[in-house]
Amino acid sequence: MLETVDLCVSFGAVKALSGMNLTVPRGEVTAVIGANGAGKSTLMRALAGLVTPQSGQVLFDGRSIAGNKPEDIVRNGLALVPEGRSTIPELTVEENLRLGGLWREKSDRGASKNLVFDLFPILGERASMRADTLSGGERQQLAIGRALMSDPKCLLLDEPSLGLAPLIVTQILELVSRLAKETNLAVLLVEQNAVTALRVATTGVVLNLGEVVKSGPAHEISSDEELRHAYLGY
Amino acid sequence: MTNFIDYLLGGFSNGAVIALMALALVLVWRSTRMVNFAQVGQAMFTTYVALTIQQSTGNWVLALLVAIGAGAILGVIVFFLVIRPVKNSDSTGAIIATFGVLIALQAGAGMIWGGDPRGFIPPVDNAGLEFAGRIWPISPYDILVLSATAALVIGLTLLFTKTSLGLSMRASAFNPEVARLSGVRVNRMLISGWAIAGATGAIGGVLIAPASTISPNSFDILLVFAFTAAVIGGLDSLIGAVTFGIGTGLVISLVSGYSDSGNAPIVALVLLALNLLLKPDGVFGHHGARSV
Repeated sequence: MLETVDLCVSFGAVKALSGMNLTVPRGEVTAVIGANGAGKSTLMRALAGLVTPQSGQVLFDGRSIAGNKPEDIVRNGLALVPEGRSTIPELTVEENLRLGGLWREKSDRGASKNLVFDLFPILGERASMRADTLSGGERQQLAIGRALMSDPKCLLLDEPSLGLAPLIVTQILELVSRLAKETNLAVLLVEQNAVTALRVATTGVVLNLGEVVKSGPAHEISSDEELRHAYLGY
Repeated sequence: MTNFIDYLLGGFSNGAVIALMALALVLVWRSTRMVNFAQVGQAMFTTYVALTIQQSTGNWVLALLVAIGAGAILGVIVFFLVIRPVKNSDSTGAIIATFGVLIALQAGAGMIWGGDPRGFIPPVDNAGLEFAGRIWPISPYDILVLSATAALVIGLTLLFTKTSLGLSMRASAFNPEVARLSGVRVNRMLISGWAIAGATGAIGGVLIAPASTISPNSFDILLVFAFTAAVIGGLDSLIGAVTFGIGTGLVISLVSGYSDSGNAPIVALVLLALNLLLKPDGVFGHHGARSV
């Protein structure tokens, strides 16, 4: 579904990603884990079109999308939920959701909205409230809900656990993982919190200083003690 | 007491026009986070266009509609020619550039239409209405101005709260990155903001023209009042711009009535300074809205 080939991103002299190769298949969660500064968010921003890669390719559905505008990338079915519960606090819950699919046909939007409300019933209850009245976990659900309003084929989740209680993180991630299986959605999850991420993921990729040091089945990575000590800090 | 009421009533129509100019400033601020000092210059220019149409066809409504269209187009032109290239490097530079546009528009208008003040004939009577045995400082034209302003404010509110375009524009203003990630073409929304602001300013210009005369510099003072109203209102609040626009009109009317009309701009600037000292986010602004 989503693939990167030798993807390189630099900020001035600093190489944030050097030759990243990654495949994100449909119907499962792929987790990219690594410490702060490993290049995880840069990867996500490059995939979503917010930063332009130096070299290398991003293939989505077989087409090269590197260098495309973010608004076109999301319209093509690749939606990013950026770090830090990216809702717009001044808008209501309903407006935040509506925003996610404004460019789509009205009837399609309705179907997506029902799906989001089924998945996160709390959003339906709070539809007319301003987003800044929601709790952290509810806001993360809203951010994911907004991304789902674009009816994505691939969902990018950047550090959804940030600042949330572990129980809530697990609930949200399990919902996403179930959604991936049931609707054949490709999910790329980027996390500092390796334990939680590897629990819901099928494949794990360990990133360090812009390079992939290991990739393989999630359970293998979480049981590799040496790897854990060296790169994941537990 | 009679004087007081007369002065107050006389200020509404002027206040409505200040409100429209303040609205134009706020619309630009909301889309690109900068103050467009050329706004009154654009309004002056489109008012000359309206004057030309009115003088050749005698049709005020047509003149107003052409001015609205010209205002929107001029807003987009200013955005593309000046603001966009400069904004990429430095937003202070862009604000200075709007002063340049203002001066260029004034010089251009002087070259095309000459520097002599010209009269703009109102479509309806501009003399005070007679009611209950006396003449009131409200004319049929004032009522037209107030109704047009009210209609425009209601229209803009509906546009922003009820339509997809409005939602996209608000999202682009609050958080451009999230808006882009949601598929909103943010650049187009910024351009729409400048176009709507230009059209709003153009309406304000045509409405105020009959109150005095029009010359290339005749709206300069309007900039002082509109800027004051927009800033006190919080710069990103439509309702703030309208409230304090009308409020400024009333203050001007009272100051002019009790002392001298030359004192009005000074009073406006004192109010602006007090506001910035005491409530720097503006009355209707939320905290941090004005930090760039």
